[in-house]
Amino acid sequence: MDGDRALAAEYVLGLLSPADRAATGRRLDSEPALAAEARLWQSRFSGLDAEFDVVAPPSRLLAAIEARAFGDAPKATGLANWWNNLALWRALTAGAAAVAVIALGFGLTRPAPLDPSAVAVQLVAALEQEGSATKFLALYDGATGSVRLTAVSGEAVADRDLELWYIDDTDAPVSMGVIPVSGRTEVPLPREAQIKFEDGTVLAITLEPKGGSPTGAPTGMIVAAGQAVAI
Amino acid sequence: MTPATADISELISRCVLRDRAAFRTLYERTSAKLFGVTLRILKDRTEAEEALQEVYVKIWQRADRYVPGGYSPISWLVAVARNHALDVLRARKPQADDIDVALDIADSGLNPEQAAVASGEKSRIDRCLGELETQKAEAVRGAYLDGYSYEELAARYDVPLNTMRTWLRRSLIRLRECLSA
Repeated sequence: MDGDRALAAEYVLGLLSPADRAATGRRLDSEPALAAEARLWQSRFSGLDAEFDVVAPPSRLLAAIEARAFGDAPKATGLANWWNNLALWRALTAGAAAVAVIALGFGLTRPAPLDPSAVAVQLVAALEQEGSATKFLALYDGATGSVRLTAVSGEAVADRDLELWYIDDTDAPVSMGVIPVSGRTEVPLPREAQIKFEDGTVLAITLEPKGGSPTGAPTGMIVAAGQAVAI
Repeated sequence: MTPATADISELISRCVLRDRAAFRTLYERTSAKLFGVTLRILKDRTEAEEALQEVYVKIWQRADRYVPGGYSPISWLVAVARNHALDVLRARKPQADDIDVALDIADSGLNPEQAAVASGEKSRIDRCLGELETQKAEAVRGAYLDGYSYEELAARYDVPLNTMRTWLRRSLIRLRECLSA
Protein backbone atom coordinates (compact mmCIF):
# COMPACT_ATOMS: atom_id res chain seq x y z
CA MET A 1 0.00 0.00 0.00
CA ASP A 2 2.62 2.51 1.13
CA GLY A 3 4.94 1.02 -1.47
CA ASP A 4 2.50 1.71 -4.28
CA ARG A 5 1.77 5.16 -2.91
CA ALA A 6 5.45 6.06 -2.98
CA LEU A 7 5.82 4.40 -6.39
CA ALA A 8 2.98 6.50 -7.83
CA ALA A 9 4.61 9.63 -6.41
CA GLU A 10 8.00 8.65 -7.86
CA TYR A 11 6.28 8.05 -11.21
CA VAL A 12 4.65 11.47 -11.18
CA LEU A 13 7.88 13.14 -10.06
CA GLY A 14 9.83 11.41 -12.83
CA LEU A 15 12.25 9.73 -10.43
CA LEU A 16 12.00 6.19 -11.80
CA SER A 17 14.57 4.58 -14.08
CA PRO A 18 13.40 4.21 -17.69
CA ALA A 19 12.68 0.49 -17.15
CA ASP A 20 10.74 1.07 -13.92
CA ARG A 21 8.93 3.98 -15.50
CA ALA A 22 7.78 1.83 -18.43
CA ALA A 23 6.75 -1.01 -16.10
CA THR A 24 4.80 1.37 -13.88
CA GLY A 25 3.16 2.94 -16.93
CA ARG A 26 1.88 -0.50 -17.96
CA ARG A 27 0.55 -1.12 -14.45
CA LEU A 28 -1.28 2.22 -14.55
CA ASP A 29 -3.14 1.04 -17.64
CA SER A 30 -4.45 -2.07 -15.90
CA GLU A 31 -4.69 -1.06 -12.23
CA PRO A 32 -7.30 1.62 -11.56
CA ALA A 33 -6.23 1.99 -7.91
CA LEU A 34 -2.66 2.80 -8.87
CA ALA A 35 -3.87 5.13 -11.63
CA ALA A 36 -6.09 6.94 -9.11
CA GLU A 37 -3.11 7.23 -6.78
CA ALA A 38 -1.00 8.78 -9.56
CA ARG A 39 -3.80 11.23 -10.38
CA LEU A 40 -4.03 12.20 -6.72
CA TRP A 41 -0.31 12.90 -6.58
CA GLN A 42 -0.43 14.84 -9.83
CA SER A 43 -3.25 16.94 -8.48
CA ARG A 44 -1.58 17.55 -5.10
CA PHE A 45 1.80 18.39 -6.62
CA SER A 46 0.07 20.84 -8.97
CA GLY A 47 -0.19 23.03 -5.87
CA LEU A 48 3.48 23.81 -6.54
CA ASP A 49 2.76 24.98 -10.11
CA ALA A 50 2.56 28.61 -8.99
CA GLU A 51 6.30 28.42 -8.39
CA PHE A 52 6.95 28.00 -12.09
CA ASP A 53 7.59 31.53 -13.27
CA VAL A 54 5.57 33.05 -16.09
CA VAL A 55 8.01 33.87 -18.88
CA ALA A 56 6.90 35.21 -22.24
CA PRO A 57 8.36 33.03 -25.01
CA PRO A 58 9.86 34.72 -28.10
CA SER A 59 7.06 35.77 -30.44
CA ARG A 60 8.51 33.83 -33.38
CA LEU A 61 7.64 30.50 -31.70
CA LEU A 62 3.92 30.58 -32.46
CA ALA A 63 4.38 30.54 -36.24
CA ALA A 64 6.87 27.67 -35.94
CA ILE A 65 4.45 25.73 -33.74
CA GLU A 66 1.53 26.29 -36.11
CA ALA A 67 3.61 25.16 -39.08
CA ARG A 68 4.50 21.97 -37.22
CA ALA A 69 1.05 21.34 -35.78
CA PHE A 70 -1.03 22.13 -38.83
CA GLY A 71 1.40 21.00 -41.55
CA ASP A 72 1.37 22.40 -45.03
CA ALA A 73 -1.95 21.37 -46.49
CA PRO A 74 -1.78 21.37 -50.29
CA LYS A 75 -3.79 24.19 -51.82
CA ALA A 76 -6.58 23.22 -54.16
CA THR A 77 -5.98 24.54 -57.66
CA GLY A 78 -9.07 23.22 -59.43
CA LEU A 79 -7.02 21.89 -62.34
CA ALA A 80 -8.66 18.75 -63.69
CA ASN A 81 -6.09 15.97 -64.29
CA TRP A 82 -4.19 17.20 -61.29
CA TRP A 83 -6.06 14.59 -59.27
CA ASN A 84 -5.02 11.69 -61.43
CA ASN A 85 -1.42 12.21 -60.52
CA LEU A 86 -0.33 9.48 -58.11
CA ALA A 87 2.60 11.43 -56.74
CA LEU A 88 0.23 14.16 -55.78
CA TRP A 89 -2.03 11.82 -53.85
CA ARG A 90 1.00 10.49 -52.04
CA ALA A 91 2.05 14.00 -51.12
CA LEU A 92 -1.45 14.69 -49.91
CA THR A 93 -1.36 11.57 -47.79
CA ALA A 94 1.84 12.75 -46.13
CA GLY A 95 0.53 16.26 -45.66
CA ALA A 96 -2.73 15.01 -44.26
CA ALA A 97 -0.92 13.61 -41.25
CA ALA A 98 -1.26 16.99 -39.66
CA VAL A 99 -4.93 17.24 -40.49
CA ALA A 100 -7.44 16.55 -37.87
CA VAL A 101 -7.67 13.13 -36.45
CA ILE A 102 -9.54 12.32 -33.32
CA ALA A 103 -8.89 9.17 -31.39
CA LEU A 104 -12.37 8.31 -30.30
CA GLY A 105 -12.57 6.53 -27.01
CA PHE A 106 -10.01 8.77 -25.38
CA GLY A 107 -12.63 11.41 -25.91
CA LEU A 108 -14.21 13.88 -23.62
CA THR A 109 -16.64 11.65 -21.86
CA ARG A 110 -14.85 8.47 -20.90
CA PRO A 111 -12.29 8.39 -18.08
CA ALA A 112 -9.05 6.43 -18.38
CA PRO A 113 -8.05 3.68 -18.17
CA LEU A 114 -9.72 2.06 -21.14
CA ASP A 115 -9.94 -1.42 -22.44
CA PRO A 116 -7.82 -1.10 -25.61
CA SER A 117 -9.73 -3.84 -27.41
CA ALA A 118 -12.97 -1.92 -27.03
CA VAL A 119 -11.69 1.03 -29.02
CA ALA A 120 -9.22 -0.60 -31.39
CA VAL A 121 -11.71 -0.98 -34.21
CA GLN A 122 -12.97 2.57 -34.11
CA LEU A 123 -11.18 5.33 -35.94
CA VAL A 124 -12.26 8.85 -36.57
CA ALA A 125 -11.02 11.32 -39.10
CA ALA A 126 -12.04 14.94 -39.42
CA LEU A 127 -12.18 15.92 -43.07
CA GLU A 128 -11.41 19.51 -43.83
CA GLN A 129 -9.28 21.64 -46.08
CA GLU A 130 -7.76 25.08 -45.69
CA GLY A 131 -9.97 27.58 -47.47
CA SER A 132 -12.94 25.23 -47.71
CA ALA A 133 -16.15 25.46 -45.69
CA THR A 134 -16.95 21.79 -46.20
CA LYS A 135 -16.17 19.73 -43.12
CA PHE A 136 -17.09 16.17 -42.27
CA LEU A 137 -16.39 13.81 -39.42
CA ALA A 138 -15.81 10.20 -40.43
CA LEU A 139 -16.13 7.29 -38.02
CA TYR A 140 -15.05 3.84 -39.07
CA ASP A 141 -16.62 1.01 -37.15
CA GLY A 142 -14.87 -2.33 -37.55
CA ALA A 143 -17.98 -4.17 -36.39
CA THR A 144 -20.02 -3.05 -39.40
CA GLY A 145 -17.13 -2.47 -41.80
CA SER A 146 -18.54 0.86 -42.80
CA VAL A 147 -17.73 4.52 -42.46
CA ARG A 148 -20.30 6.83 -40.88
CA LEU A 149 -20.05 10.36 -42.19
CA THR A 150 -21.45 13.37 -40.42
CA ALA A 151 -21.53 16.70 -42.24
CA VAL A 152 -20.26 19.41 -39.91
CA SER A 153 -20.51 22.32 -42.31
CA GLY A 154 -20.70 23.10 -46.01
CA GLU A 155 -23.31 23.89 -48.60
CA ALA A 156 -24.49 22.28 -51.80
CA VAL A 157 -22.96 23.56 -55.04
CA ALA A 158 -25.29 23.81 -58.05
CA ASP A 159 -24.88 20.97 -60.57
CA ARG A 160 -22.16 19.34 -58.51
CA ASP A 161 -21.98 16.38 -56.15
CA LEU A 162 -19.52 15.52 -53.40
CA GLU A 163 -17.67 12.27 -53.89
CA LEU A 164 -15.81 10.39 -51.18
CA TRP A 165 -12.47 8.74 -51.91
CA TYR A 166 -10.46 6.13 -50.07
CA ILE A 167 -6.71 6.58 -50.46
CA ASP A 168 -3.78 4.59 -49.22
CA ASP A 169 -0.25 5.67 -49.82
CA THR A 170 0.54 3.56 -52.85
CA ASP A 171 -2.59 3.23 -54.95
CA ALA A 172 -4.87 5.52 -56.87
CA PRO A 173 -7.91 6.83 -54.99
CA VAL A 174 -10.86 4.42 -54.83
CA SER A 175 -14.32 5.92 -55.04
CA MET A 176 -16.68 5.33 -52.14
CA GLY A 177 -19.48 7.03 -53.99
CA VAL A 178 -21.40 10.26 -53.96
CA ILE A 179 -22.35 11.53 -50.52
CA PRO A 180 -25.03 13.96 -49.34
CA VAL A 181 -23.82 17.45 -48.47
CA SER A 182 -25.60 17.49 -45.13
CA GLY A 183 -26.76 15.12 -42.42
CA ARG A 184 -25.40 11.67 -41.67
CA THR A 185 -24.76 8.84 -44.01
CA GLU A 186 -23.24 5.38 -43.78
CA VAL A 187 -20.91 4.23 -46.53
CA PRO A 188 -19.63 0.65 -46.74
CA LEU A 189 -15.94 0.24 -47.53
CA PRO A 190 -15.36 -0.69 -51.20
CA ARG A 191 -15.40 -4.46 -51.52
CA GLU A 192 -11.93 -4.76 -52.97
CA ALA A 193 -9.82 -7.27 -51.08
CA GLN A 194 -6.90 -4.98 -50.33
CA ILE A 195 -8.99 -2.22 -48.86
CA LYS A 196 -8.86 -1.76 -45.12
CA PHE A 197 -9.55 1.18 -42.91
CA GLU A 198 -6.50 1.50 -40.69
CA ASP A 199 -3.74 3.71 -39.43
CA GLY A 200 -2.77 6.08 -42.24
CA THR A 201 -5.92 5.67 -44.28
CA VAL A 202 -6.89 8.95 -45.91
CA LEU A 203 -10.39 9.96 -46.84
CA ALA A 204 -10.89 12.84 -49.22
CA ILE A 205 -13.94 14.55 -50.64
CA THR A 206 -13.91 16.13 -54.10
CA LEU A 207 -16.39 18.25 -55.99
CA GLU A 208 -17.54 16.26 -59.02
CA PRO A 209 -20.13 16.51 -61.79
CA LYS A 210 -23.66 15.36 -60.85
CA GLY A 211 -23.67 11.63 -60.22
CA GLY A 212 -19.97 11.47 -59.48
CA SER A 213 -16.73 11.38 -61.42
CA PRO A 214 -17.28 10.20 -64.99
CA THR A 215 -13.82 8.62 -65.15
CA GLY A 216 -13.66 6.68 -61.87
CA ALA A 217 -10.82 8.90 -60.72
CA PRO A 218 -11.18 12.25 -58.96
CA THR A 219 -11.59 15.11 -61.43
CA GLY A 220 -12.69 18.03 -59.28
CA MET A 221 -11.05 19.99 -56.57
CA ILE A 222 -10.63 18.55 -53.12
CA VAL A 223 -12.89 20.17 -50.55
CA ALA A 224 -11.97 18.12 -47.50
CA ALA A 225 -9.44 15.48 -46.51
CA GLY A 226 -8.23 13.81 -43.34
CA GLN A 227 -6.19 10.90 -42.12
CA ALA A 228 -6.98 8.26 -39.54
CA VAL A 229 -4.45 7.17 -36.96
CA ALA A 230 -4.67 3.94 -35.01
CA ILE A 231 -5.40 4.48 -31.35
CA MET B 1 -18.63 31.76 -26.85
CA THR B 2 -15.83 33.35 -28.83
CA PRO B 3 -12.28 32.08 -28.43
CA ALA B 4 -11.36 35.33 -26.69
CA THR B 5 -13.69 34.65 -23.77
CA ALA B 6 -13.69 30.86 -23.76
CA ASP B 7 -12.06 29.35 -20.71
CA ILE B 8 -9.02 27.15 -20.99
CA SER B 9 -10.99 23.93 -20.71
CA GLU B 10 -13.22 24.94 -23.59
CA LEU B 11 -10.21 26.02 -25.66
CA ILE B 12 -8.65 22.58 -25.19
CA SER B 13 -11.94 20.94 -26.23
CA ARG B 14 -12.07 23.11 -29.32
CA CYS B 15 -8.59 21.91 -30.28
CA VAL B 16 -10.07 18.40 -30.44
CA LEU B 17 -12.42 19.79 -33.10
CA ARG B 18 -9.40 21.19 -34.95
CA ASP B 19 -10.26 24.80 -34.22
CA ARG B 20 -7.06 26.65 -35.09
CA ALA B 21 -8.23 29.99 -33.72
CA ALA B 22 -8.91 28.32 -30.36
CA PHE B 23 -5.43 26.78 -30.43
CA ARG B 24 -3.88 30.18 -30.99
CA THR B 25 -5.87 31.71 -28.14
CA LEU B 26 -4.88 28.80 -25.91
CA TYR B 27 -1.25 29.42 -26.82
CA GLU B 28 -1.54 33.13 -26.13
CA ARG B 29 -3.10 32.50 -22.74
CA THR B 30 -0.90 29.68 -21.51
CA SER B 31 2.46 29.70 -23.31
CA ALA B 32 4.19 32.01 -20.82
CA LYS B 33 3.33 29.62 -17.98
CA LEU B 34 4.45 26.55 -19.91
CA PHE B 35 7.63 28.30 -21.06
CA GLY B 36 8.36 28.93 -17.38
CA VAL B 37 8.04 25.18 -16.82
CA THR B 38 10.32 24.06 -19.66
CA LEU B 39 12.84 26.78 -18.78
CA ARG B 40 12.97 25.89 -15.09
CA ILE B 41 13.48 22.20 -15.77
CA LEU B 42 15.81 22.42 -18.77
CA LYS B 43 17.69 25.55 -17.62
CA ASP B 44 18.66 26.30 -21.20
CA ARG B 45 16.76 28.79 -23.34
CA THR B 46 17.26 27.10 -26.68
CA GLU B 47 16.23 23.71 -25.33
CA ALA B 48 13.30 25.22 -23.47
CA GLU B 49 12.06 26.92 -26.66
CA GLU B 50 12.35 23.72 -28.64
CA ALA B 51 10.56 21.80 -25.87
CA LEU B 52 7.78 24.41 -25.77
CA GLN B 53 7.18 23.96 -29.49
CA GLU B 54 6.97 20.20 -29.08
CA VAL B 55 4.64 20.61 -26.11
CA TYR B 56 2.13 22.68 -28.10
CA VAL B 57 2.27 20.36 -31.11
CA LYS B 58 1.53 17.56 -28.63
CA ILE B 59 -1.34 19.54 -27.08
CA TRP B 60 -2.84 20.07 -30.55
CA GLN B 61 -2.49 16.40 -31.41
CA ARG B 62 -3.51 14.99 -28.04
CA ALA B 63 -6.08 17.49 -26.82
CA ASP B 64 -8.59 14.62 -26.79
CA ARG B 65 -6.73 13.14 -23.80
CA TYR B 66 -7.85 15.99 -21.62
CA VAL B 67 -10.88 15.03 -19.54
CA PRO B 68 -12.78 18.15 -18.38
CA GLY B 69 -13.37 18.02 -14.64
CA GLY B 70 -10.46 15.63 -14.13
CA TYR B 71 -8.35 18.39 -12.76
CA SER B 72 -7.81 21.99 -13.61
CA PRO B 73 -6.97 22.53 -17.28
CA ILE B 74 -3.93 24.66 -16.54
CA SER B 75 -2.59 21.90 -14.28
CA TRP B 76 -3.06 19.45 -17.12
CA LEU B 77 -1.14 21.72 -19.49
CA VAL B 78 1.63 22.20 -16.93
CA ALA B 79 1.82 18.41 -16.49
CA VAL B 80 2.15 17.92 -20.26
CA ALA B 81 4.94 20.51 -20.38
CA ARG B 82 6.67 19.19 -17.28
CA ASN B 83 6.57 15.57 -18.48
CA HIS B 84 7.92 16.54 -21.86
CA ALA B 85 10.72 18.60 -20.32
CA LEU B 86 11.60 15.66 -18.06
CA ASP B 87 11.79 13.35 -21.08
CA VAL B 88 14.21 15.77 -22.74
CA LEU B 89 16.19 16.16 -19.52
CA ARG B 90 16.51 12.43 -18.90
CA ALA B 91 17.50 11.78 -22.50
CA ARG B 92 20.42 14.16 -22.46
CA LYS B 93 23.81 13.56 -20.91
CA PRO B 94 24.25 14.74 -17.35
CA GLN B 95 25.74 18.21 -17.31
CA ALA B 96 26.31 21.10 -14.97
CA ASP B 97 23.01 22.75 -14.15
CA ASP B 98 24.26 26.03 -12.80
CA ILE B 99 23.38 28.15 -15.79
CA ASP B 100 21.49 31.15 -14.53
CA VAL B 101 18.48 32.03 -16.59
CA ALA B 102 17.17 35.57 -16.60
CA LEU B 103 13.44 35.43 -16.16
CA ASP B 104 10.93 38.03 -17.24
CA ILE B 105 8.10 37.81 -14.77
CA ALA B 106 4.65 38.39 -16.23
CA ASP B 107 1.04 38.05 -15.11
CA SER B 108 -0.09 34.61 -13.87
CA GLY B 109 -2.96 34.48 -16.37
CA LEU B 110 -5.37 32.62 -14.06
CA ASN B 111 -9.00 33.62 -13.72
CA PRO B 112 -10.32 34.00 -10.14
CA GLU B 113 -11.83 30.50 -10.02
CA GLN B 114 -8.66 28.82 -11.23
CA ALA B 115 -6.67 30.94 -8.83
CA ALA B 116 -8.90 29.76 -5.97
CA VAL B 117 -8.56 26.06 -6.88
CA ALA B 118 -4.83 26.54 -7.37
CA SER B 119 -4.51 28.33 -4.05
CA GLY B 120 -6.33 25.46 -2.27
CA GLU B 121 -3.87 22.91 -3.65
CA LYS B 122 -1.04 25.31 -2.98
CA SER B 123 -1.82 25.83 0.68
CA ARG B 124 -2.31 22.07 1.17
CA ILE B 125 1.01 21.02 -0.35
CA ASP B 126 2.83 23.91 1.33
CA ARG B 127 1.41 22.93 4.73
CA CYS B 128 2.23 19.23 4.26
CA LEU B 129 5.74 19.90 2.98
CA GLY B 130 6.13 22.12 6.04
CA GLU B 131 5.66 19.05 8.23
CA LEU B 132 8.70 17.37 6.69
CA GLU B 133 12.27 18.17 7.64
CA THR B 134 13.47 21.16 5.62
CA GLN B 135 15.97 19.21 3.52
CA LYS B 136 13.46 16.49 2.68
CA ALA B 137 10.82 19.00 1.70
CA GLU B 138 13.40 20.75 -0.46
CA ALA B 139 14.27 17.46 -2.15
CA VAL B 140 10.62 16.80 -3.03
CA ARG B 141 10.24 20.32 -4.38
CA GLY B 142 13.47 19.95 -6.35
CA ALA B 143 12.19 16.75 -7.93
CA TYR B 144 8.90 18.36 -8.96
CA LEU B 145 10.02 21.86 -9.89
CA ASP B 146 13.53 21.28 -11.22
CA GLY B 147 13.13 17.70 -12.36
CA TYR B 148 16.06 16.50 -10.25
CA SER B 149 16.78 12.78 -10.49
CA TYR B 150 17.76 10.61 -7.51
CA GLU B 151 21.39 10.91 -8.68
CA GLU B 152 21.24 14.70 -8.68
CA LEU B 153 19.47 14.79 -5.32
CA ALA B 154 22.05 12.43 -3.81
CA ALA B 155 24.88 14.65 -5.05
CA ARG B 156 23.12 17.79 -3.90
CA TYR B 157 22.58 16.53 -0.35
CA ASP B 158 25.83 14.57 -0.35
CA VAL B 159 24.34 11.20 0.61
CA PRO B 160 24.67 7.80 -1.08
CA LEU B 161 22.12 7.12 -3.83
CA ASN B 162 20.32 4.37 -1.91
CA THR B 163 20.10 6.51 1.20
CA MET B 164 18.59 9.30 -0.89
CA ARG B 165 16.09 6.89 -2.37
CA THR B 166 15.08 5.50 1.01
CA TRP B 167 14.61 8.84 2.67
CA LEU B 168 12.74 10.38 -0.18
CA ARG B 169 10.34 7.42 -0.31
CA ARG B 170 9.74 7.68 3.43
CA SER B 171 9.13 11.39 3.03
CA LEU B 172 6.64 10.72 0.24
CA ILE B 173 4.72 8.25 2.40
CA ARG B 174 4.54 10.81 5.23
CA LEU B 175 3.56 13.49 2.77
CA ARG B 176 0.81 11.26 1.40
CA GLU B 177 -0.74 10.83 4.85
CA CYS B 178 -0.89 14.58 5.30
CA LEU B 179 -2.15 15.26 1.77
CA SER B 180 -5.13 12.93 2.10
CA ALA B 181 -6.03 14.04 5.63
